[in-house]
Amino acid sequence: MVMEKILFLHNEIVEINKLAFFIEKIGNELGLSTELILNLNLVLEEAVSNVIFYAYPKGENHIISLSVSKTDNRLVFVLTDSGSPFDPTKIPDADTTLPANERQIGGLGIFLIRQIMDKLEYQRTNGKNVFIMEKQL
Amino acid sequence: MEVKIQKKATETIVFITGRVDTVTAPELERAIVHLFAETGITLVIDCVSLEYISSSGLRIILTAHKQVTAKGGKFVLRNLNREVGQVMNLTGFSRILTIE
Repeated sequence: MVMEKILFLHNEIVEINKLAFFIEKIGNELGLSTELILNLNLVLEEAVSNVIFYAYPKGENHIISLSVSKTDNRLVFVLTDSGSPFDPTKIPDADTTLPANERQIGGLGIFLIRQIMDKLEYQRTNGKNVFIMEKQL
Repeated sequence: MEVKIQKKATETIVFITGRVDTVTAPELERAIVHLFAETGITLVIDCVSLEYISSSGLRIILTAHKQVTAKGGKFVLRNLNREVGQVMNLTGFSRILTIE
């Protein structure tokens, strides 16, 4: 079965609400478990919120696109924005082995994306950031 | 998301209902941050109705833990569902926090 969908979002933080509906609908259509739907929601929220917070100068309005496609047992999300170049795969992980008082507050988002997804890829193409996240089903 | 605070003789319990995400996390922080400064408090986050938490919520949990314990208090997460528990495991929070 081949399936492809695309969601367009403004670079405003309230748009995060649309992600939950988007992934829940896809998850239900594909018969994914509640656990996987929530995990994918977590991944997409981390990736999209990074773009919303950091890709564009404050006050500018832009459109971010998120496409999802399923082929055989691969679910592939492609997040595209035209903001400043940013490679999320280069961000170091939070060190999750440290005791609480030494744990840093940041770095968890990309760590969660790496833990949950099976393959990540970044391209800078035609002035756009293209972040590809793949999950084997 | 809804937040309810219940003060008992021995502990203060924060009940969170719904989703803590990038949009709602600042509201959670505003609602409970005053509790972090209390000396010797036992602060319990009851997650029985917490459906989802993203890294923005986890940052508040870690801040709460650090500040409450620095003031001689105790910080506890209670009644996590399977999905939220899994996020705590993935991030290593289940090793550093008290979970009941």
